[in-house]
Amino acid sequence: MERDIYLIGLNHRTAGVEVRERFALTDCNVLEQGVVPIDDVVSEVLILSTCNRVEILAVGRGPEVVSRVLRGWSSARGQCEHDLAPYVYTHKGPEAIRHLFRVASSLDSMVVGEPQILGQLKDAYRKAIERNCTRVILNRLLHKAFSVAKRVRTETGVASSAVSISYAAVELAKRIFGEMNQYKAMLIGAGEMAELAATHLLHAGISKIYVANRTFERGRELARQFNGEAIHFEDLFERLADADIIISSTGAHEAIIRARDIKDVLRRRKHRPMFFIDIAVPRDIDPDVNNLDNVYLYDIDDLKEVVEENLAQRREEASKALTIVEEETGKFGQWLRSLELQPTIVDLIRRSERIAQDELARTLKRLGPVDDETRDALEAMLSSMVRKLNHEPITFLKRRHSEEDAGPRYIDIARRMFNLDDDNVPPDAHCDRRRHDEDN
Amino acid sequence: MISPEFLLSALVLFLYAAGTAAIVVGTVARNASMKRVANWLAITGFVVHAISLVAGLQGHTWETISKGYFLQMLSWSMLLIYLFVWWKFKLDFLSALASPFALLIYLSSFKVAEVQSKLPESLSGLFFGLHIGTLFLSFGLMAMAFGAGVLFLHMERKIKTKEPLTGFRKDLPALSTFDRVNRLCVVWGFPLFTLGIVSGFVWAHPAWGKVITWDPKEIVSLAVWVMYALLFHQRVALGWQGRKPAVMVIWIFAVSVFSLIVVNVFMPTHHSFIQQ
Repeated sequence: MERDIYLIGLNHRTAGVEVRERFALTDCNVLEQGVVPIDDVVSEVLILSTCNRVEILAVGRGPEVVSRVLRGWSSARGQCEHDLAPYVYTHKGPEAIRHLFRVASSLDSMVVGEPQILGQLKDAYRKAIERNCTRVILNRLLHKAFSVAKRVRTETGVASSAVSISYAAVELAKRIFGEMNQYKAMLIGAGEMAELAATHLLHAGISKIYVANRTFERGRELARQFNGEAIHFEDLFERLADADIIISSTGAHEAIIRARDIKDVLRRRKHRPMFFIDIAVPRDIDPDVNNLDNVYLYDIDDLKEVVEENLAQRREEASKALTIVEEETGKFGQWLRSLELQPTIVDLIRRSERIAQDELARTLKRLGPVDDETRDALEAMLSSMVRKLNHEPITFLKRRHSEEDAGPRYIDIARRMFNLDDDNVPPDAHCDRRRHDEDN
Repeated sequence: MISPEFLLSALVLFLYAAGTAAIVVGTVARNASMKRVANWLAITGFVVHAISLVAGLQGHTWETISKGYFLQMLSWSMLLIYLFVWWKFKLDFLSALASPFALLIYLSSFKVAEVQSKLPESLSGLFFGLHIGTLFLSFGLMAMAFGAGVLFLHMERKIKTKEPLTGFRKDLPALSTFDRVNRLCVVWGFPLFTLGIVSGFVWAHPAWGKVITWDPKEIVSLAVWVMYALLFHQRVALGWQGRKPAVMVIWIFAVSVFSLIVVNVFMPTHHSFIQQ
């Protein structure tokens, strides 16, 4: 029976959080080997488990692979197989490849385009290698998945715009100020979202963060966290002139900052631009402030709209990404089929014959007109050379193929050694392996 | 026989035209490599243009060169300013302005060059070079600030009204960058412009016998100077930023273009490049 790729899993769409908790394989000590032991049915296996999904990739023979995985998975969590089955999807062959590529390029994520999943997949792969659970097919499949993810990221806008309120605020600040390193921010009130925005601002390189809180102690605590400066709430307007970006999130019942207050502040700061981010409900900052020259005000609804817009854009880009996934799935399927013995032998012979014909044509051109006898002799010599040169590799491949497991590996090596897939190998390929060789 | 000068001009023209086409396509299609090509075309055009300007001086003195030559110089100084700003701020959006402007002025220089006549005796030497050179450089700076100002107003409106940014707008730099271009153009452009005007008056005295001749061009230029001086003061002393300087620079540039085209072509002026 033919070897095939299977993918068995559940995600945030097929299973609620309680189910995902019950069947998560993150903290188990008994990964791959413990869940699905490698034997003559299952030859390779990899487990990816995050808070939103569990995906088990397995290479093996026949439908028994699926039941083996399900059994191993549920018993590893001490659960009954029947409780698991309704939430699980099973993909085989091209379906499985496509699904993995979609997961890797974050097209299957809850927030399309989020970057964590790729890192998690790389981690899972590294662990699977450490446990010696992957062979030629999964190795190639995972490497391909990483490169598909990279292609999607660079060729489409799937991950290009902010999809969280606090990050959207920072993106807007960059639209106004450009480089952040000569600007200062002020937090008025200390909410969770304000903290998050401050963290993003620090990442973007903001030079200083002030914290003005009604309880000075709490403000000082927060300021220490950001290596900033706490200021007394009464001095707010006094110090507002120092800040370029103001993030307000107090629990005040009515606006605490009005246009007429800001006019004075602007004069003192020589009309340098100010960006107000009001994430409090009810709002802290009077909407009139937005009408002042060089002052920009976004409230929570404006930011939500930006996020919605960006999400819609990502979904649009996702359809472009699916075309890439489709294309790469096709290519991988081709490679997988070529791991069979017969096509490889055909390719090998065809390649050497092509070379022989090219060389013959070149030689004949150089020799000028020759009689038929010479020509026949040359042709005969070439074809016997081709036959004899290919004889040993082909016999070798045939012999290895009849052994268990070794077949695909040697065929893969042969295909790469003779470059039968016309791969362009970049100069920095396999640098990890090269380093490994040097170490030895 | 085709003269080498003609060949050089044709080459410059071709490079600027190709640069303009490439930058328009690159901006609309948001294609970075196309924009790079456009920049290299502009740079090559700039170098060839410089060679043709030097070659054009051979065998001439300030008195005998053609009027078109000055417009070619203006076109070249546009590129000079652009390349300087590009190098200083790494702003490639300015290339969307530089090549088309340079192309337009260069084209108009041919129209002018057809009119063969001698420069008046009065146009002589160093003073004239100073007068023309400084005014051309400040015109180039104004054009840059005009482009930056238009984009600033457009983007500021989008941000103020919270409209989503689409297409090439996403590639545009931050508002503060446009403002920095404005600042550069005002801080350098105004002194240059002043120098140009003053040198004109100083040199008018020996040439025409009086400092002010109430030529239409002089009146418009003085108006521009007053506006420019106001902007310079507000920007440097009062620290104006953002919208107001952007709006003002657009007006200043508009009046300057009026002075360059309308006054020179349709009004009787002894500043005309086309003399009857």
